[in-house]
Amino acid sequence: MLPTSLDEAVEALAASPAAVPVAGGTDLMEAVNAGRLRPAALIGLGRITELRGWRYEDGGTAVLGAGLTLARMDRPDFAALIPALADAARTAGPPQTRNVGTLGGNIATAAPAGDTLPVLAALEASVTLARPGVTREVPVSHLLTGLDPMRPGELLTWVRVPLLNAPQVFLKATGRSGPSRATASVALVLDPARRAVRCAVGAVAPVPLRPLEAEAWVAGCIDWDARGEEGVPAIDPAAAAAFGEYVASACVPDGYGGDAASGLPAEGPTAEALRLRRTVAVLARRALGRALK
Amino acid sequence: MTNHPVHPVDERPCASYTLRVNGFERPVTDAWIGESLLYVLRERLGLAGAKNGCEQGECGACSVQVDGQLVAGCLVPAALAADSEISTVEGLSAGGAASDVQQALADSGAVQCGYCTPGMAMAVHDLLQRNHRPSEVEARQALCGNLCRCTGYRSALAAVQTVADARSAALLEAEEAAAEGVGEAAEPAAADASAQGRQAPVQAPAPAEPEVPDLPVYQDAWTETAAAGEVPVFGNDDSGWIVAQPFEAPQAFDTPQPFEAPQPFDTPQPFEAPQAFDQPQAYEAAQGFEAAQHFEGTRMPGPAHPAQPAGGYEPSPTAVGTGVGVGVIPPQGYPGYEATAYGPGTVYASGATYEPTPAHGTSAPGAPFEGTPAHGTPYEPTPAHGTPYGTPAQGTPYPGYPDQQYAGTPYEGAGYEGTPYDRASYDGVGYDGTVYEPAPAAPYDATPAHGLRLPEDDHA
Ligand SMILES: Cc1cc2nc3c(=O)[nH]c(=O)nc-3n(C[C@H](O)[C@H](O)[C@H](O)COP(=O)(O)OP(=O)(O)OC[C@H]3O[C@@H](n4cnc5c(N)ncnc54)[C@H](O)[C@@H]3O)c2cc1C
Ligand code: FES
Ligand code: FES
Repeated sequence: MLPTSLDEAVEALAASPAAVPVAGGTDLMEAVNAGRLRPAALIGLGRITELRGWRYEDGGTAVLGAGLTLARMDRPDFAALIPALADAARTAGPPQTRNVGTLGGNIATAAPAGDTLPVLAALEASVTLARPGVTREVPVSHLLTGLDPMRPGELLTWVRVPLLNAPQVFLKATGRSGPSRATASVALVLDPARRAVRCAVGAVAPVPLRPLEAEAWVAGCIDWDARGEEGVPAIDPAAAAAFGEYVASACVPDGYGGDAASGLPAEGPTAEALRLRRTVAVLARRALGRALK
Repeated sequence: MTNHPVHPVDERPCASYTLRVNGFERPVTDAWIGESLLYVLRERLGLAGAKNGCEQGECGACSVQVDGQLVAGCLVPAALAADSEISTVEGLSAGGAASDVQQALADSGAVQCGYCTPGMAMAVHDLLQRNHRPSEVEARQALCGNLCRCTGYRSALAAVQTVADARSAALLEAEEAAAEGVGEAAEPAAADASAQGRQAPVQAPAPAEPEVPDLPVYQDAWTETAAAGEVPVFGNDDSGWIVAQPFEAPQAFDTPQPFEAPQPFDTPQPFEAPQAFDQPQAYEAAQGFEAAQHFEGTRMPGPAHPAQPAGGYEPSPTAVGTGVGVGVIPPQGYPGYEATAYGPGTVYASGATYEPTPAHGTSAPGAPFEGTPAHGTPYEPTPAHGTPYGTPAQGTPYPGYPDQQYAGTPYEGAGYEGTPYDRASYDGVGYDGTVYEPAPAAPYDATPAHGLRLPEDDHA
């Protein structure tokens, strides 16, 4: 069924709790085609126009509809608003899936390689979950880590993102040059008002990771007053490189890729850990460099 | 994380609905709600144009438009597309004639097995609807969700440019005609038709035979601008170009004859009907393209050929769609093409027969006769898209072989035994000791998406 308003959809989901909401269907149909899912009923969210755009809220917040497509987020007006999210959306799959795949679907799927997730984590966004007559606001980090998961019959409706009006970068490493899922990704946003750097690493763990100590450390290394001035480096290149290493070792454990079951005492980091750390370090260093350029 | 039900009530819930496909209402009865649009189109409605390559959204063979958006048909629940406008590849061709996009794909040699072609045609059609003058980067990005395992993408990219050129030429002409006040109703119709992706009516300049105004559409970094009639072979002046003499350069011109039989075109769908291919014009253009590909693949540094005199032949005026990839395709039908005895299985003086080199330059550079995958000789697959790894990719000069190794190259010699490549590989004579340093292990971050390297990547 194809409800045309949010209320209708929420009611429909409450009326038939076994039904599956379908936004773009790109993750859902993949599971159906592969035989991993047999839906009892489908509730199409594509006709709910109110969820396909965004609005502004007092206090410098953008409220993004869950039905915002990845392709829409790549357009210049949105990219001017939340550049890192636009960058993430641009790299999330081929045009055929970005045309219909949505922000809400990306969050609800919560795949380790979900590209919007590290950005939302770095931005400290929150989501609104709706049931008939009730809504609740959950930080994205709580939702993703399972501290406060989505409950049956709930619909993800809005995503609240603070507007920082400062450079932000999303970088992603993939296994091939065409569109593909991330092997590692880094989202980095500057918060000049608080003189803070916020960074999240995606795809290396089931949920995006925040290297909080590295963030705090590098914020102290940045010459915030020189930022944006012509010809003055806002950060020592060596500090930027060290930040990369710091982030990488914080997010990739020594035993990464090792066989935990075999229980062999790990002698230093595994080869996989070293390789992934290198990738993450380069991404983080570059992201910082670009944000401060 | 997702709130899927664990135990569905009904094991196989079904629905009946009506799809609007290419402007026609098509009822679907009692279909399982999990059926994809691709499945319903192919199995229930008999529209087999869209292909099932993966059912996972990866390959793009199932591309269709839903409400004007290009989507993967395999990922659309058909039941939810009920009040949408669906266009498929069958709708591209009005009255059974291939659309300009389809014709250009065929002419530029973008079709080998043809499995990717319906999806590719939809993607090109969709791109040109949104963007009448796509740049190469835009075209690559638009086609990046369409995998082709036979041909590669260069000829498809060339087809994009051919159609864009032809349409804007048609549009311009129509505007001019309208400005002159000659025609009343015909010209706008022509302009409209060409914008719609159809062949313009006859009164408009036929896009089937445009004059292919500027040539190389997509060039590799190593090429320089070439004029019509030049064949991309490696020259002795390092420019990457010499003017070819009709088939004095033998070995590469052995086309695997992809168009021999119209076997991939199995269904009576408009595009797949072989009518696009039984025109000798399409066939020859494709053949020419293959030939060019081979040259590219087997190009060697150093003075491989004596430079050929320019002006050996005239570019054929009907060279539709030959502005392909590597620049320009040798005009079809030039003297001696058919007669040249360099087909597969040709027996050379040494007694060795020649096997076709696989297309796309997959053979090791500098080894035109050996080391090709066809012989089972181990070879290093070149990383895609010129990734700067250790393997010398296509077009990388080979510093390991001193130039004189190539004097008197295979083109003149009769046999294979004495090719410099043999010596170089087997007894080390030829190596000047240069060792290929693999790029430092940066397996993933080195290449940003789509193979585009941004300048700031090197110093962030
Ligand atoms: C070929 C291919 C490549 C891809 N590459 C990438 C990639 O590089 N990066 C990346 O991040 N993703 C990638 N994806 C995944 C996918 O495109 C995205 O995750 C997309 O954002 C999913 O959105 P959707 O609207 O299609 O979700 P759907 O498939 O419609 O839904 C996914 C799940 O979320 C639930 N859901 C959707 N909307 C809501 C809502 N409002 N409330 C509650 N539940 C909801 C559905 O019930 C379903 O369980 C790729 C997919 C494909 C097929
Ligand atoms: S079959 Fe749909 S993308 Fe491959
Ligand atoms: S897959 Fe593209 S022609 Fe065969």
